[in-house]
Amino acid sequence: MTIFGLWIINKAGGLVYQKNFADGLALLSSNEYLVLAGTLHGIHAITSRLSPAGRSSGVEVIEAETFKMTIFLTATGTKFVLLTSLTDSTADAALQRIYEAYADFVMKSPFHTPEMPIRTEKFDVKVAEVIKVFA
Amino acid sequence: MTIYSLYIFDRHCACIYYQDWHRAQRPKPAVAGNLLQGVARAVTQQPTTALSQVEFTSPRNTLNYSSGVVVAIGEPSPAAPPIPAKTPPVSTVPMSKLSFDEEAKLVYGVIFSLKNMVQKLSGRDESFVNYRTSGYKLHVFETLTGYKFVMLTDPVTDSMRFVLRQIYTGPFLEYVVRNPLIAMDSKERGVDNEHFRQATDRLLRSLSIFSKNS
Repeated sequence: MTIFGLWIINKAGGLVYQKNFADGLALLSSNEYLVLAGTLHGIHAITSRLSPAGRSSGVEVIEAETFKMTIFLTATGTKFVLLTSLTDSTADAALQRIYEAYADFVMKSPFHTPEMPIRTEKFDVKVAEVIKVFA
Repeated sequence: MTIYSLYIFDRHCACIYYQDWHRAQRPKPAVAGNLLQGVARAVTQQPTTALSQVEFTSPRNTLNYSSGVVVAIGEPSPAAPPIPAKTPPVSTVPMSKLSFDEEAKLVYGVIFSLKNMVQKLSGRDESFVNYRTSGYKLHVFETLTGYKFVMLTDPVTDSMRFVLRQIYTGPFLEYVVRNPLIAMDSKERGVDNEHFRQATDRLLRSLSIFSKNS
């Protein structure tokens, strides 16, 4: 079980946090990550409209051949995306813990502007702790 | 567990085949001109000429022209024999808000973007396999020739790649590729034909995951 990376996408589709934890995926420039996050934001909106059976949420898990992306949408529209290996089954739990850390160390920080890139050292430390537990 | 629908796209991004099973909402028929001919009768707009709307012209002429029964002797045959309206069997399934051509474009757009994203992220020539929402799961199988087989099932189904591959190596090769009446890669027509439709239907109905409530 490997956790490759974490993205946090704000409700407008902008990437406000991006961190890599393990090798295995390509290393991209921050600009490319921004584009991918925007794409994912759009895909998320479309997938909820494609449902053949009544109402549906947006995309929750995307699987490729060697990795998967687990997307957690909060009530406020922020998306937490965790890139893990295919066998990982704890991605949802890890995302919950990261969301808690986000609430405690980002939202409660008086120096953080909502919807803007996250530059809070304490959050980095907490995320690293969570990843260590789950990886 | 159940299967909702199957789309086939060719390498020109066009939807060339469609079939559905347990959908709660049928897509609206495609807007004329936005969908190739011969994709699926159920989602193609039917020509609504005045003829197909003609009901009985005479109260005594109670029989349909196409049913092969003789019109009463001495009765002047109706000016325009009522042509049976070739509408798909009336289903009670409600229509979804999207028309079929828009829906097919969205499906293609999503798998295209996701494939690009996966390739960018992995840095390898890797393909996107499936995604899941709370309401359904979408599976993709792409052939070397650029045909994309896309299937929508319920979210708890395991990977359906092998089934899509079976459709490709079975019915698709047999009744589409080896069918001289089907123009492959034509950009003008879909590949719908009775044999392919039936064979695909048989194949999927034989799967244990097909039934609606199991």
